[in-house]
Amino acid sequence: MNFATLDIDEATGALLSEAETFCDEFGEDAVEEEWETGSGFNERVHLEMGRRGWLVATWPKEEGGAGLTRFQASLLDMVLRARHIPLITKGTTDVVLGAVLKYGNDEIKAELLPRVAAGEIRFCLGYTEPDGGSDLAAARTRAVRDGEDWVIDGQKMFTTGAQNAHYAFLVTRTNPDVEKHKGLTTFLCSLEGAGISPVHTLGGERTNMVFFEGHRIPDRFRLGPVDAGWSVLAGSLDEEHAIGQVEVALERRGGMYGMVAAEAVELAIEWAHLSGPDGDRPIDDPFVRARLAEAALGVEVATASPGPMNRIASSDMAIAVSADLLDLVGPLGLLPHGQDGSVADGWLEYSHRFAQGTATYGGTVEVQRNLIAERFLGLPRSTPSSRNTNKVVG
Amino acid sequence: MSQHYGPTWRHEVQQRELMAAMTGISVSLRQADYSLSEEQEAVQSSFGALLARASPIEKVRAAEPFGFDAELWEQLNEMRAIAMAVPEASGGDGADLVALCVVAEQIGRYLAPAPFVEAVSAARLLARAGSAAAAELEAVLSGRAMVTLALHPVTSAADQLVPAGAIADHVVALVDDQLVCAPRTEGWDRADNHGRTPLARLPAVAFENAKVIQSGEDARLTFAQGIAEWKLLTGAALIGIGEGANSIGVEYAKVRSAFGSPIGAFQAVSHQLVDAAMAVAAGRRLLFKAAWFAEHEAHAGRHLIPMAYLHAERASLLAATVAVHVLGGVGFTVDGDAQLFFRRAKGWSLVGGDPNREIHLIADLLFGPATR
Repeated sequence: MNFATLDIDEATGALLSEAETFCDEFGEDAVEEEWETGSGFNERVHLEMGRRGWLVATWPKEEGGAGLTRFQASLLDMVLRARHIPLITKGTTDVVLGAVLKYGNDEIKAELLPRVAAGEIRFCLGYTEPDGGSDLAAARTRAVRDGEDWVIDGQKMFTTGAQNAHYAFLVTRTNPDVEKHKGLTTFLCSLEGAGISPVHTLGGERTNMVFFEGHRIPDRFRLGPVDAGWSVLAGSLDEEHAIGQVEVALERRGGMYGMVAAEAVELAIEWAHLSGPDGDRPIDDPFVRARLAEAALGVEVATASPGPMNRIASSDMAIAVSADLLDLVGPLGLLPHGQDGSVADGWLEYSHRFAQGTATYGGTVEVQRNLIAERFLGLPRSTPSSRNTNKVVG
Repeated sequence: MSQHYGPTWRHEVQQRELMAAMTGISVSLRQADYSLSEEQEAVQSSFGALLARASPIEKVRAAEPFGFDAELWEQLNEMRAIAMAVPEASGGDGADLVALCVVAEQIGRYLAPAPFVEAVSAARLLARAGSAAAAELEAVLSGRAMVTLALHPVTSAADQLVPAGAIADHVVALVDDQLVCAPRTEGWDRADNHGRTPLARLPAVAFENAKVIQSGEDARLTFAQGIAEWKLLTGAALIGIGEGANSIGVEYAKVRSAFGSPIGAFQAVSHQLVDAAMAVAAGRRLLFKAAWFAEHEAHAGRHLIPMAYLHAERASLLAATVAVHVLGGVGFTVDGDAQLFFRRAKGWSLVGGDPNREIHLIADLLFGPATR
């Protein structure tokens, strides 16, 4: 058991200084652009990260990486996120990269990996459909074999980053006649020619609907065997659900989805130290002190939540804490970023909207609770058994 | 409490700014390794095995309502459960707070009718008082005497319920700015209670002619340290209670059927069990983190003690409440085991005062005292 301050060697210290300098140089513009567009991506930042080998940071330099240890890569990620560098498309690219490394053939790896490392090629996730969110196995987007190609027809929803990406990791139905989990195939699907329609969210993020109509892709972009898509996904989904992940000896303040809320607590504490119009400081008010202390406690509990529980705890905390802190600062909390008089530059207002989405990212907290119930508590399955819903309806 | 490091959040910001100035780093840079060492794991398995054997549910029930099993107490002393907690310089084995919390969790897990937490807290207080309490400490270490502590400063305005007061040979207490050790006298009668522990209701007069073992600011600091350690150990025991309660609920939900299905397949049931398990699991890690800081970097982690304690109280209450409810009507009967956990989740904590008041201490430690 050890919670001591980390020993940062000279090389790691230099890396982190470089990260701070990077943020000083590129961060301000990227952050302002993100307030405007919510696109989770800044091209200049992404390419500059590519130049430094930071997009595949643990890969050797000869392969476009920076030769960092996993620990150093984690610290680098923490610094960039602390400075609000938009990293959503970088994140989805990482998830898909894992699947490409594991299931892609040598040809597409040679074609794409150096360009991914450089930042020129980005990936997004084509999982969710209008009719199915957390129930990923119910995917209806069809892929039909035609000679050397597959023809894709269907629609994906919440395809975040499609406007920044070149390929989607696409879950398709290749066999509608078998039990739903057994008829899926995954592809690295080019987005060229696909219809991309923006969707704007409460949290300010921009996501997309993506349409495929007679969309043709070569078989060499198939990831994994035909009809074996569910097991290909299991590796990636577990990445999203954080099951089976090796815990590095670092923790994110507030947990997986709680960083924004943890920062909101600090901002609220700073706000409370400012004198109000009557000359009183909120931090001297016992009621304010108790609420801030509860919020801080919520952050500590979420931070300490282990494994797959962390995803749920951090989201629950973010939703509760962001609402309470916004109430605490009063009516001026309603003013968003960019408005004169906004509290903490609009970050508290933002955090209240952002927090709601965290209950559904990568699958809802309810689905995650079922997972914990079944896999960790050993409780019986709660979802209807596959013999009742083995076919996709409609 | 020492003001040397100032309010914690400001201290943390200063640390980050210092780090940033030296290295350009702006994030908190501590590792987060929650794993137990080999020695700590050995402590966990040996005390877990002892208590599984010596404190089965039947013995917990047999000890009710008083809540003390003399045979179990003797077995714990044979395993040096109290002696291990005293520093080597004072004649003990010098176990660290993390190891002591490991034992305390098992004490809670098995609802052990033995005052491990209060005896350890009080023994460590005696050790801190030095030579003035040497005789009493020696009696405790040799197993001849049991010591406990009064959790609230003694006041003539009200009696105080003292944990293990009905069985202890000495009580360590704070009377104004004096730390005293009072020997057992007439009138330390048991007060049967909700938590099934051997409480005694002691008036201020019980401490009138007690031996003074420390005075002044030292006494206040020593007492505050003792209370902080009581919170850590009680918090760990509460986590154990929560774990035990949650297990009962989960096992029942697997086998009990209703409407054609094991009830654990209904999300309304399973999600309650999951939420309780989550609160306990996070609570365990937060508690051990607090214990680590108390042992290794006390100044940096003082706020974690009331945080971990308050959360442990909430987690154990949640788990016990859910367990009683998931067991339905059976859970509500005295024959059901869930209610054993339910009583003790409240009883082992409330004796220390309204746990929700910890929020004020957390605020003081994070922000410094209010200036108005």
